[in-house]
Amino acid sequence: MTTKIDQDEIRKVIESVPMLSASATQLLQTTTDPDHDLIEIVRIVKTDATLTARVLKVVNSAAFGLINEITSLDRAISYLGERLIVGIAIGDCASQLFNKELKGYEGEHGDLWRHDLRTAIASREVVTQSNSTISPDLAFTAGLLHDIGKALISDYLHGTASAVLEKIENEEISDYLSAEEELIGFDHTRAVHELALVWKLPEAITEVIRFHHAPSEARDEFKELVYAVHLGDNIAMMGGCGTGADSMRYKLDNNYCQFMDLQPAALANVMLAVNDDFNKLERSFAEAGESN
Amino acid sequence: MGQIILGVGDYGASNRPGEEVKTFALGSCVSVVLLDPKTRTVGMVHVALPESTINKAKSVEKPGYFADTGIPALLSEMAKFGCNPKGKGMVVKLCGGANVMDTNDTFQIGKRNALSIKKVLWKYGMGAVAEDLGGNFSRTVSVSVDTGEITLSSPGRPNWKL
Repeated sequence: MTTKIDQDEIRKVIESVPMLSASATQLLQTTTDPDHDLIEIVRIVKTDATLTARVLKVVNSAAFGLINEITSLDRAISYLGERLIVGIAIGDCASQLFNKELKGYEGEHGDLWRHDLRTAIASREVVTQSNSTISPDLAFTAGLLHDIGKALISDYLHGTASAVLEKIENEEISDYLSAEEELIGFDHTRAVHELALVWKLPEAITEVIRFHHAPSEARDEFKELVYAVHLGDNIAMMGGCGTGADSMRYKLDNNYCQFMDLQPAALANVMLAVNDDFNKLERSFAEAGESN
Repeated sequence: MGQIILGVGDYGASNRPGEEVKTFALGSCVSVVLLDPKTRTVGMVHVALPESTINKAKSVEKPGYFADTGIPALLSEMAKFGCNPKGKGMVVKLCGGANVMDTNDTFQIGKRNALSIKKVLWKYGMGAVAEDLGGNFSRTVSVSVDTGEITLSSPGRPNWKL
């Protein structure tokens, strides 16, 4: 039996999860502003000794295969690029959520982090290879955070997966999102309002978390970004990187064609690039202790 | 029990008793399993995309990625175990090739992978005796060298055999 939950219950769950550090919050806000400069990123990272150490560990991990060790933070940041810096900062603060075993989805330890990282890379590749005007860095960050709501509601879905799959196969429920709503009165995109307040998330990111399964409902100014992450999410699942029983059980909104030109050959190249980059990044994060 | 684990675009074979050849979480990817009763060898390739024409360099670096280069690469590998290099006498099984829901043609990579693999197999005069393809779910696949039996698993479902 499942219990219905509401905003108050979600608020309690959010209160029990770690806050983002001041530097992670600042990085999120700065990098979603189109007019920011790399110098600002360096300045923020420098104020946080733990983050500085992590950034240097990642850049010097064997996965990047650098011949000479990078000891200067400025060089490390320009080598890794701002999206990875934001990724390291968020991954570090919210590792408790990202690494939560999603029992409600019958997912394994680390599945959420791997899915989010793969979606981040795929969203970036989608905007890059479809000549979109969206910043690849923003698409990466939004992809990284898009499914964080699953960590908040997973426990309430405990023991429901096989019944949900049966209902979807019998066409009694249209997809996994509707199943979450039907079972507990709350789907994984809806926890965003509370989380956005506590984590001070930028609007663009909030919109992606809320509408990544219903991109046509996003506000016009964010639609293209939301569609990019919608595709990135599906590409990550197609690559075998889902979060458990719900993998590939969501609908693809074909109206993405209005916002981006992604032909079959471009999609195949996106999938190739995603696989290569994912293997490298997953290794570098693991070596630096980010995803443990 | 020994295991050979294959990642995306990997291929491998074994004739060691008690061993299994395994690949995790096939989404739209397809696992081609070749069983050679004569030499008791099991081979598998984890194919991600239908055609190597989109990236020739990648197909040289990792032929298992594509249907058209992955199957010949697997056959060459199995020839090292004494199998017929043209696949003569082998039994073929296919798993994977799932698609996301309500997908359009562009995103039907699972379906295109399966079609492309069947075309390549046909050129060798081979056809699958068993397949578990399509649907909207990912599959983990392991093949026993002893029996040639495939065990499939997917979160939220009981395991099944092929």
